[in-house]
Amino acid sequence: MNELSELRVASEVSDLAREDAQGVTAPRSSLPSNRLGQLLMLPGQIVSLLVLVVPLVVAFYMSFTDWTPTHGSLLEATLVGLDNYKELLIYDTRFVEAVVRTLLISAVCLALEFVFGLSLAVLFLREFRGKAILFSAFLTPMMILPVVVGYTFWMLFQSNGPINQLLMLAFGSGAGLQWFRSAPLAVSAVIITEVWHWTPLFFLILLSGLNAIPENPVRAAVILGATPRQVFWRIVLPMLKPVIIVAFVIRAMEIVKLFDEVFMLTRGGPGTSTETISLYIYKLAFADFQLAYGAAAAFLVLLGTLVLIHLLLAPIRNQLLEARR
Amino acid sequence: MTGRKLTWPLAFVLFGALIVSLFPVFWIVMTAIKPPTDWNASPAIWIPSHPTLINFKTLFDPDSIRAYGVGGVSQAATNSVFGSLLASVVGTALSVAIGLFAAIGISRYANGGKATPLIILSGRMFPPAAIAVPFVIIYSNVGLIDTYRGLIAIYVAGTLPFSTWMLKSFVDDLPREIEEAAMIDGRSRLMAHVFVTIPLIRGGLLATTLFVFILNWSEFMFALVLSYSNVTTIPVQLARYVTATAGTLYGVQAALAVLAMIPLVLAGLLIQSHLARGMTFGAVKR
Amino acid sequence: MTFPKLEIVNLRKLFGNESFVALDGVDFAVEAGETVALLGPSGCGKSTTLNIIVGLEQPTSGDIRIDGRSVIGIPPGKRNVGLVFQDYAVFTHMTVFENLAFGLIIRGRAKAEIARAVHDVAELLGMQNSLKLSAAELGGSELQRVAIGRTLVTKPAILLLDEPLSNLEASARIAMRRELRRLQSEIGLTIIYVTHDQVEALCLADRIAVMNAGKLQQIERTSVICKKPDHVFVAGFMGSPPMNLLRGEIIGDGTSAGFRRDGLIIRLPSSEAFATNYVGQPIILGLRPESLTLAAANEATICGKVAVVEPRGPEAVVTVEAGTVSLKAVVPTAERPQEGADIGLLADPSSFVFFSGETGRRLAS
Repeated sequence: MNELSELRVASEVSDLAREDAQGVTAPRSSLPSNRLGQLLMLPGQIVSLLVLVVPLVVAFYMSFTDWTPTHGSLLEATLVGLDNYKELLIYDTRFVEAVVRTLLISAVCLALEFVFGLSLAVLFLREFRGKAILFSAFLTPMMILPVVVGYTFWMLFQSNGPINQLLMLAFGSGAGLQWFRSAPLAVSAVIITEVWHWTPLFFLILLSGLNAIPENPVRAAVILGATPRQVFWRIVLPMLKPVIIVAFVIRAMEIVKLFDEVFMLTRGGPGTSTETISLYIYKLAFADFQLAYGAAAAFLVLLGTLVLIHLLLAPIRNQLLEARR
Repeated sequence: MTGRKLTWPLAFVLFGALIVSLFPVFWIVMTAIKPPTDWNASPAIWIPSHPTLINFKTLFDPDSIRAYGVGGVSQAATNSVFGSLLASVVGTALSVAIGLFAAIGISRYANGGKATPLIILSGRMFPPAAIAVPFVIIYSNVGLIDTYRGLIAIYVAGTLPFSTWMLKSFVDDLPREIEEAAMIDGRSRLMAHVFVTIPLIRGGLLATTLFVFILNWSEFMFALVLSYSNVTTIPVQLARYVTATAGTLYGVQAALAVLAMIPLVLAGLLIQSHLARGMTFGAVKR
Repeated sequence: MTFPKLEIVNLRKLFGNESFVALDGVDFAVEAGETVALLGPSGCGKSTTLNIIVGLEQPTSGDIRIDGRSVIGIPPGKRNVGLVFQDYAVFTHMTVFENLAFGLIIRGRAKAEIARAVHDVAELLGMQNSLKLSAAELGGSELQRVAIGRTLVTKPAILLLDEPLSNLEASARIAMRRELRRLQSEIGLTIIYVTHDQVEALCLADRIAVMNAGKLQQIERTSVICKKPDHVFVAGFMGSPPMNLLRGEIIGDGTSAGFRRDGLIIRLPSSEAFATNYVGQPIILGLRPESLTLAAANEATICGKVAVVEPRGPEAVVTVEAGTVSLKAVVPTAERPQEGADIGLLADPSSFVFFSGETGRRLAS
């Protein structure tokens, strides 16, 4: 903030402090001071404005031009209307492939993370010793930097690496795979890496949800004659639905941005077989310097993400609104 | 549902899952302590017979790195460690401070309407590769490219949704009456927040700080895009070691990776009980 | 030979490695079609007893028999016992119909059969029109009816209820009381319910089992228990206001006997001659508030000052203090005295109840 606005803020704060101190004999408990509230949110709004909104607006404007860094100033760039967007959606097969690929990989990863995470969470409902230590151990993968995860699995999937060694141990000396030379294997490697990295999140969230389910409905079901399996599918899972959806939304939001791990594992290869949207935009912007085009791609992705989240949240929209109140 | 014992088959499954969870960590730690002669062995060695800490030393010794004769990479990792610390610590501190005030504002006053929360949250939904584009342009014009100031600004904005939302859920847990009581005692509203609200969410504040620190420390893309010669963070340095050497510098790379991991694993252990809250923007509490 | 519907046989339950005795030899039987209330303060073991009957908990020792057969090894779903939780525990993610049908659905019955059974129960409880509603939209007493209906659909032999009226507000309580009484008479179920409120116990039950600290103090018909409490605990628990209990001793000289407490002496008529057996021993005298009437000073058993008058519609509860003694009497509203006035109380000797000052047990005449 510059000096002028700092002065303004300082005087407002002292005004408020004086005002409050004088008026305190009759506490205004039911009417929160709007000015203080606005003041408190100001830094956050400023940061968001400067560092989020402004660049977004710039990028949005840019997406309607044909600007590249060699063109001079952005303000002088020619507007080309929706050309970039049309190009992306209609002619750019690489873009469309990247989108479909990212969605497919995301869907598979989310499904696997959910199944593994839920299984682990259900296991943790039972009694056994050392639960606390095991809990920490199972959360570890989530805590590791994405680049390190990518790097580690890059090592693991090497031709002479431990994964191939284990395969050869189990299935004979010809069982070693060239993980990074073939498209399906490379995609599998990416999926395995992602699932390893983020299953703990589903485990954590689902376990919290399971522990929060009230005991009495479960008991009531048992008294009415339900087997443990029936209890799980008819009572527990349906009651877990809001938590499951939250987990999916949170993870979906992040996984469509998949970049770090893939960068370290395959760089998008072989060819473009593991190129996620983020990698493609990165290439457009920082290898090909097609910044305006890349910006358009980014906004399409943003739009898609918003739609995706809207759809995912639909089943529990009512519950979320009520919780707000 | 709860309280049943673990049967043997299930214990086996649990054990298997444990092995799978920890094996990659095991591998990278083992690689970090492999002497150079073991690095490119085929098949890869699991546990070095002569473990050594030399890789960690090499990391910080420019001459040793150069001695490996790897193209273009003669950097010791020292700058990157310094850079990560600077950007992460400062970025976290600012993010938490701003988020704290915003959290109190949103929780207690809920004005500024719905727009502010939504804007803050949408910061998470945009692909970083795309936000990087306008940033590079703006920063170039403003002279913030390749500076820590610029990187920190992004780190603050990027983690603001988490810090705000996580702290808001902690403030929400405190009944409003606590601040009312402090004000009846003669304090002004602002002072009530400073002396009453904030100390009462100490635990949550620590958890949020560590959580945001983890996010900033792990950040890769923006650092990659915005750093040239002055600014480096550990993730970028690691990527450089890998791409420039086509992976033949295993031990040293792994050593850097292990160094990067340690603060996070520790931080993760400390805030374990608050992880669910942080990861879901406060939607799910323990 | 016909067995009682339900027999609780010498039930013992220990918690926490034998350190806490929740149930200490509880033993009683319930006949088919009866309604029994388990009444007692919190922690007395009544809910534990309920859980053991339905099978959610196992006893440390003792037996539960239904129709003469032990059910201890049988899992809760197969005992043909229904339980309605205090918080109702309705399945909020299902509709009313699905809730009611649940027991039959998981048994794999045919759709038509399920529909019929659900509709019958819904009609019985007046819920025919709510069947399609989501359970999450219902209010307190509707939820309770769903919870009750849910067990009725499976046609249990015995219905258990945990504090059925305590979560309802006053008007709903009266309505539910009527509901339960109607169900009782229409279906002829054997009902056992747990409550800490003796009014709830008195209005619904055929017999009341008073429990305290894991023991069954007394099980007795409702109409009798207030007048013939077996134990000081029961006496002090039942009734509103409960029986006045005076600690003192018997004095006598062979020809006549009296009860003395500090300065207060109450002459005992010759019909209570047995009291002379207990001269000199600590005794607790029980006087029911309903048996105390206002009287002139020269006719009164006890004289004192009016401390508090609590109007209660057609009657009033008058607290009288005489020396160290404080007594409550129930008098018709028309006769109620002023606070602070001097007053005399006449006690009806035929309603005196004596308890041992040491064991608390009632002394028989």
